[in-house]
Amino acid sequence: MIKLQGVWKEYQIDREITFTALKDITLTIEKGEFIGVVGPSGCGKSTLMYVMGLLDQPTKGSIHVDEKNVTGLGDDKISALRNAFFGFVFQQFNLINKLTVLENILLPSVYASVKLSYDPLEKARDLVDKFGLKGKENSYPNKISGGQQQRVAIARALIMHPECILADEPTGNLDSKTGESILDLLSELNREEKITIVVVTHDAHVAERTRRTIKMVDGQIV
Amino acid sequence: MKYIRYLVFTIKSAFFDFSRSKGRTFLTSLGILIGVMAVVLLMVLGLGLKRYIEQQFESLGSNLMYVMPGSKATITRGGGIVGGIKFDDKDVRTIEKVKSITYIAPGYAKAGSTVEANGKTEIVEIVGSSEQIVPMFNLEVEYGRLMEKKDVQKGGKVIMLSTTVVEKLFDSAEESVGKNVTMENQNFKIIGVIKSKGGGGLGGGGLDDHAYIPFKATYSFNPDKKFYAIYFKAENKDAIPQIKEDVQRLLERRYDKDDFSVLEQKEIMETISSIFSIINTVLVAIAAISLVVGGIGIMNIMYVTVTERIREIGIRRALGAKKSDILAQFLTESVILSLIGGILGLTVSYVIVFFLQSLFPAYIDAQSIILALGVSSAIGIIFGVFPAKKAADLTPMDAIRYE
Ligand SMILES: Nc1ncnc2c1ncn2[C@@H]1O[C@H](COP(=O)(O)OP(=O)(O)OP(=O)(O)O)[C@@H](O)[C@H]1O
Ligand SMILES: [Mg+2]
Repeated sequence: MIKLQGVWKEYQIDREITFTALKDITLTIEKGEFIGVVGPSGCGKSTLMYVMGLLDQPTKGSIHVDEKNVTGLGDDKISALRNAFFGFVFQQFNLINKLTVLENILLPSVYASVKLSYDPLEKARDLVDKFGLKGKENSYPNKISGGQQQRVAIARALIMHPECILADEPTGNLDSKTGESILDLLSELNREEKITIVVVTHDAHVAERTRRTIKMVDGQIV
Repeated sequence: MKYIRYLVFTIKSAFFDFSRSKGRTFLTSLGILIGVMAVVLLMVLGLGLKRYIEQQFESLGSNLMYVMPGSKATITRGGGIVGGIKFDDKDVRTIEKVKSITYIAPGYAKAGSTVEANGKTEIVEIVGSSEQIVPMFNLEVEYGRLMEKKDVQKGGKVIMLSTTVVEKLFDSAEESVGKNVTMENQNFKIIGVIKSKGGGGLGGGGLDDHAYIPFKATYSFNPDKKFYAIYFKAENKDAIPQIKEDVQRLLERRYDKDDFSVLEQKEIMETISSIFSIINTVLVAIAAISLVVGGIGIMNIMYVTVTERIREIGIRRALGAKKSDILAQFLTESVILSLIGGILGLTVSYVIVFFLQSLFPAYIDAQSIILALGVSSAIGIIFGVFPAKKAADLTPMDAIRYE
């Protein structure tokens, strides 16, 4: 479903120096997989996730999403693909603080480039109920707990019915119990809704919960 | 439906940011406020002045004509009366003979003179003329009587003042009739008080500050017995071209054709109006510079806003916002910011114009409102586009990882 072929990512440090964060990554992710990406800090896990999630272009190599080569697509098409195909979950939750819980969940639907076959508001309400956020719909993100914020973020990732959720250290800012419940939620989504999930983590315990682990060192898969 | 939600999200997020930094929003809008206010007020002032001048001329009645020194080119180009010749009684008698002229009067004028009574002083413009000035300028009596032929022949020290002037010198306009006033070190007896023609209040008194006296009575301070203008009235509008031609021809026998000009009221009015228009356009253009400065203020604050919200931009991009969505969001903000300034500027202008109305015919027309709001939106777009473009062009990954 997602295929990376010979992907390199170089960061320009200054005019002469470049830093290679991804070195010749070739990787295939099948539909319905639950993958953990592990490795020491700075090995390029996040970079891999961002490149895979089309948040940045690889320096070299190609990315196929659903058999379609997306490298070199125009920004509008890539944005539309991000919107419809991927859902993102971050360590810092990355909710927009001036929008309410419900508005945050709805935000991706505002940017939808095709007419949705369902009412996003109804869907958002369902997710609120399902994730135990009832009564918090009109709260602002900084007024709710970290665990609740991460649930809002997951609900936001789900509003567009994505094929794949990319999560970068989703439990990194949570205590172990809350983190566990977030992982339960992700496993459930994978199991019951067949959503492909990629979790980036440096925590071996988190990786244990996934079904396949990709180990990275120094920008390479080992 | 989708677009409504989109717009609501965009506008809501704009207002959220404004309410979080009210002081900054206000100060940024202040630049536009001042600019819009300056432009609107100057426009209003210009239109009001134009209307004021037109009213004053209209109150003189139609078909009024003048002979003035100087070539028409210098007069209509706003050169004013420079050097040139002066006319005398002989010219009046020459023109008098032209067909279709109903009234004719000499026009000796001395601006900035004063009348004094009861220890009070008023600034007036002395108009030395004949009794024919009365029908010519549509003067109407309020108390006493109007100037008559016998006053003019005798050259007696009699004077007609407007109610506006006498009310400032005497307890009541009525009792001023028959009293003396001092002007140019001589005593003049008030024979009549004439109705106000309105206007004034713009520093000058308009037509109401005229002090009409017989021409002969000016001799003591006008020793060469000459005057700068001859007023006459055409029987009807159609006669004006012929009169012009005849008067021109007759006076050319005595003077060089560049030394005088025969004008009709319309031409003078248009000249004065066009001078005011030019001055006003220049002033409005200068005021418009302050709008540009206001726009730069908006641009500046929008750059700050973009920098502060790089992460938010990254999040939105990750969720699927296109570059155009981000561009639209920040443009909406800068337009709203500058529209707030525009609306506040209009409001303040309204209040000022309300108080100005007692002085002269000023009002804010629909055109000024549309212009002010249009211009402030345009400024929002023009000065918002670069910061918004900067926001839109951020790489989503760099934006979302920005600390
Ligand atoms: N914009 C950038 N410019 C330059 N170097 C960068 C940039 N982003 C990341 N890097 C470098 O690329 C390498 C990989 O970064 P990345 O964030 O992918 O690591 P990571 O494996 O996610 O680490 P961590 O576990 O600490 O989150 C790091 O050495 C980092 O310093
Ligand atoms: Mg990382």
